[in-house]
Amino acid sequence: MDFFEIISENFMVEGGKPLFHLEQVLGSYPLVQHGVSLGIGGPEPLDRDYLARLKQLVRKVSPPWLSDHFCWCGAGGAHLHDLLPLPYTWEVVELVAERARAVQDYLEVPFALENTSSYMAFTASEMTEWQFISEVAERADIGLLLDVNNVYVSAYNHGFHADTFIANVPHDRVLQIHLAGHTNLGKVIIDTHRGHVIDEVWDLYRATIARTGPVSTLIEWDDEIPDWSVLVAEAEKARAVRDRVVQATPGRAPRASLAQAAVSASGASSDARSAGHGGPRELAAREPSALGEAVAE
Amino acid sequence: MSQLAELQRWVVQHLQSRRALPQNEAVSAEARLLLTGNDRLSPVEQLEIYREQFWLRHTASLVEDFPGVGGILGQSEWEGLVESYLAATSPQSWTLRELGRGFAAHVERAADVPHRALVRDMARLEWCFIELFDAPERPPLDLRKLASLPPDTLETGQIQLNPALALLEVGYPVADLRRALLEARLAPDAPPVAIPDPEEQWLVLYRDADRRLYHRPVGPEAYALLEGLARGLPLVDACQHALDRAPAHAERLQSHVGTWFQQWAKRGWIVDVVPNLTPS
Repeated sequence: MDFFEIISENFMVEGGKPLFHLEQVLGSYPLVQHGVSLGIGGPEPLDRDYLARLKQLVRKVSPPWLSDHFCWCGAGGAHLHDLLPLPYTWEVVELVAERARAVQDYLEVPFALENTSSYMAFTASEMTEWQFISEVAERADIGLLLDVNNVYVSAYNHGFHADTFIANVPHDRVLQIHLAGHTNLGKVIIDTHRGHVIDEVWDLYRATIARTGPVSTLIEWDDEIPDWSVLVAEAEKARAVRDRVVQATPGRAPRASLAQAAVSASGASSDARSAGHGGPRELAAREPSALGEAVAE
Repeated sequence: MSQLAELQRWVVQHLQSRRALPQNEAVSAEARLLLTGNDRLSPVEQLEIYREQFWLRHTASLVEDFPGVGGILGQSEWEGLVESYLAATSPQSWTLRELGRGFAAHVERAADVPHRALVRDMARLEWCFIELFDAPERPPLDLRKLASLPPDTLETGQIQLNPALALLEVGYPVADLRRALLEARLAPDAPPVAIPDPEEQWLVLYRDADRRLYHRPVGPEAYALLEGLARGLPLVDACQHALDRAPAHAERLQSHVGTWFQQWAKRGWIVDVVPNLTPS
């Protein structure tokens, strides 16, 4: 395995097993950080305490880049621990771009935002999702974490063409790709990160790589986690698919400067617990039930 | 307030609703104005997906954090308690780790909680374990440093306890009960775990060098001494605090304090002794 991804929030703690395990992995593998709680499009200003802790973790991990989501997480002081979709308006473009630029400057590491899977859309939207994320990325000068499964899920849920989405984002800004399984309930597809990547998503991945070149790719499988060998096989499949497409697409321009520090590989998420439809999964490292025996005095 | 903020507050308000939204005509009408819907889902049904996920996510988190409370109450009572907690206490933190911080206090004031005192003690115990799980690390007591300190340092200095240690006074043997409940979950054919009789206990909860969590009952005088040390009192004052709190155990306190210090240092409960630098 070439690299792992951690959910930042799981490791923004003082000590214990989470940090112990983190240090063990850091000694052997490159890590990238992926956050679920920034809430960059929320109505309140960004949480300074959260950002300070995040920066502390960045200093420990030294990731080649760090990511979160195009979303918001709460309002009025409530944090719902979900990746709620944004209305795609110019007002929100401005808000998110300004904050994304500030986050990247503050953390002093390349920053990327990920397209989410969504299950509702707002009548207030003034543009498509791909126009929205492209505008934000260009204005803020940040990277994109392109979740190809999320493109597929949202295309099904909202009735747009996934290929159009893939074709119309700034490909040189794609720092990393996510692939995952999902659950099709008929009326809606839920991004459960459960099971194998389906064939249609592999096709979309091929179309993506043909445009982006060899981008680091991560398999997110954090619900009903299979044997390690199954996970490895899924990551190896991503590597093989990517390599075949790259070989068959001569003349690709070199990657943009944002990607220079990347580990160019595929990996499996170290995120061990999904909390539903791809929402926050920040309890992965906690095992408070591991009680030992003690003798009474 | 901007239109965006107004829209977001509307969403947040309805996602925390305890009742399904599609049956609510007023919300459905508002949703038709604000959400697109599609040919498979109405606008309010789109919103309902997120509402269901809010409850699933947060109840699942509490189930994981408070298995002992759930084990005492059983499914139906547990669901009622969790729903009333989430309804009364919006999650505020960016981390789900904080979700249960107010749970024991909620048990105190919630209506109709069976075995309330027992459930409250269990919730307090389980919250302590959550806090200890990722509490800061401190290296063990450096005996060479200790030997180099002036002779009266132990009595007058500050004896520092491990930050991954908590003291808990309970009215029931909740730590043993929790263990029994967790074991019973793994053996579905086992007989139900009995509700224990009240029994006052003084527990030291701690994380050891291997980062495993332990509980250890101690006597009231040892507990009071640790309590004094946890407050930052020098040993002499901490002993006085213990005598005040457990006067009936004065003799045991005086005869055991030296042994306890050695045992507690060995277990990693004591991590440092800092000389008192205040001029006399």
